[in-house]
Amino acid sequence: MNAKYCKKCVYPISAVNLNIDDEGICSACKTAEKFEELSDDFWNQRKEKFEEIIQPYLNKNESNYDCLIPVSGGKDSFYQAHLIAKEYGLKPLLMTYHGNNYLPEGDHNRDLMRHAFDADHIVWGPSVDTLKKLNKITFKMMGDMNWQNHCGIKTAPIQIATKFNIPLIIWGETDWDISGMYSPDDFVEFSARVRHEHDLRGYEWYDMLKHGLKEKDMMWAKYPSDEEILEVGVRGIYIGNFFKWDPNKQTKIIMENYDWKPSEKPFERTYRRFSNLDDRYENGIHDLLKFVKFGYGRASDHASKDIRTGYMAREEGVEMVRKYDSVVSSDLYYWLDYVGMKENEFWSIADTFRDPRVWWIDDGKWYKNNIWGGASSYGNVHLDDSGIENFSKKNRKY
Amino acid sequence: MKKNRLIPIVLLKDGWIVQSKNFSQYQNLGNPVATVKRLSEWASDEIIFLDISRGDKYDTKRNDQGYKNRGSFLDIIKDVSDIAFMPITVGGKIRTIKDIEDRLLSGADKICLNSMAIEDISFINQASKEFGSQCIVISIDAKKNLDNYLVYSKGGRHMTNFTPVEFSKIVEDNGAGEILINSIDRDGFGGGYDISLIEKVVESVSIPTIACGGVGEWNHFSEALEKTNVDAVAAANIFHYIDQSVYLAKKYLYESGFNVRKPDLIKI
Repeated sequence: MNAKYCKKCVYPISAVNLNIDDEGICSACKTAEKFEELSDDFWNQRKEKFEEIIQPYLNKNESNYDCLIPVSGGKDSFYQAHLIAKEYGLKPLLMTYHGNNYLPEGDHNRDLMRHAFDADHIVWGPSVDTLKKLNKITFKMMGDMNWQNHCGIKTAPIQIATKFNIPLIIWGETDWDISGMYSPDDFVEFSARVRHEHDLRGYEWYDMLKHGLKEKDMMWAKYPSDEEILEVGVRGIYIGNFFKWDPNKQTKIIMENYDWKPSEKPFERTYRRFSNLDDRYENGIHDLLKFVKFGYGRASDHASKDIRTGYMAREEGVEMVRKYDSVVSSDLYYWLDYVGMKENEFWSIADTFRDPRVWWIDDGKWYKNNIWGGASSYGNVHLDDSGIENFSKKNRKY
Repeated sequence: MKKNRLIPIVLLKDGWIVQSKNFSQYQNLGNPVATVKRLSEWASDEIIFLDISRGDKYDTKRNDQGYKNRGSFLDIIKDVSDIAFMPITVGGKIRTIKDIEDRLLSGADKICLNSMAIEDISFINQASKEFGSQCIVISIDAKKNLDNYLVYSKGGRHMTNFTPVEFSKIVEDNGAGEILINSIDRDGFGGGYDISLIEKVVESVSIPTIACGGVGEWNHFSEALEKTNVDAVAAANIFHYIDQSVYLAKKYLYESGFNVRKPDLIKI
């Protein structure tokens, strides 16, 4: 039960997909170091490589979109659209999956895109009734009410690309940086495996049918076959492999050039104000569940990133973790109302996902070790006797 | 004429599929079943599945996924062989005849030996007598020392006195069915195979040889097939970087006129 933390950032070894090396540095820091070491000269070469890659798609195209950009309207996709439509002057098709979780600022930013850029925009969202069901089903199944969002974001654009015959999809940040799965030289592209396994946690639309949803409800969640993808030649490249990814700087650019708005109110679970406006739960209870499962939250993610890019010192990061990681945010009550669930039921389900490598029970309370030393209790245990028995059974395994 | 095979190598460390660089840096990629399923769907000719864990704890630390988080290597092989439509060669941590038997019973089609073959050459003999030499692949990790190549064991941590050519001949004489020759220096760098190393080994034996180590683009496969008499070309990391990778690599080789199977997709 000895919690270990990366020596450089604030990630615990229980962080999802993380590998910690013999010196105690995590794979996310290692990857970030590699990115940080890169010179301006390197990034100029990368930019040229990017232009080389997109060239064939532009030359053969007079009568279709140049590329597709999956956008939420958030800071990252807004910047992607800025780069492609403004700086390169291309004609992208913007494509949004709408999971009905937008904050008002997020609604504004999303709908601003068609005004800001000379680009068409498709917004595709499942029926709200389906979404409410899915929120509940996947919360019970995998401790994540936002499966629909992860699935939609990584499925609907690929479906549209195959249907509209658009071979080139442009994604933003290399999202595996979060755990350092790949390095800059790998030139990783979008893959159905990473989507299925990491975004969808190994579940697909058909796993939802036994819970009262129909195939017709899940059309947006169907990933095209390899045949369909190869027929059009659809591939997804990441801008983060070719341009230095700096969210703080990029947010500044889009705020100066457009009417893009950060959150008016501070978030309850992190100090950053410009992330996750497209999804009220991403910084809220979706993330609280990460804390419940693995013992760390969004403030750990944001602080770790800001430590790696030099915006924050580690001590300050530890303070952010102490201040935010365990906060029970008020969107919980919004969500309980949305899906019709009692708070007690929420906690008794959430508790079934507690990781025994992180948590232990003492006197009816959940305990875990802290990055600043010692252990603290983080709320009551809501499991019944058989739930507690299951937890101790898992506990004995590790 | 026998086709040249294109073989993805899958590395498993502590329960995770990983990519490896220079035998020293590892990055977790995901669950073994998810990876092997894709390689199977892209009609890989074979796969080589190597356990490079140093300890014996297998745990992806994920209990919230639609996959089983298996605690034992044999269970992982069972899961993987259930969705593999191609022969699987399994290697890593094999010390006894019983270890081989366990792996074959769990679904392995062939066995890959490394450190044990170096420590006890008679073990190759024993194993090939027991299971047939077609079942025994010897993996040889070579590293350049000045002008000479030497064979390493224990995942590149222990140097031996054998040159790859000497050792290849020894394993052939002792009943090995196939050789997998890997360059430690090239591992994970994507600059291409060590052609001279591969050529030396291929020319020193008459059993089939598989080339490994350093592929960073599809034409590195072509280079080995063109310049050497190697029977199969293998790679690990590169197949994880893009979708339909094995299919696209095979298509590239097929359309360039190499003697490989036609690219195909399998529905699983």
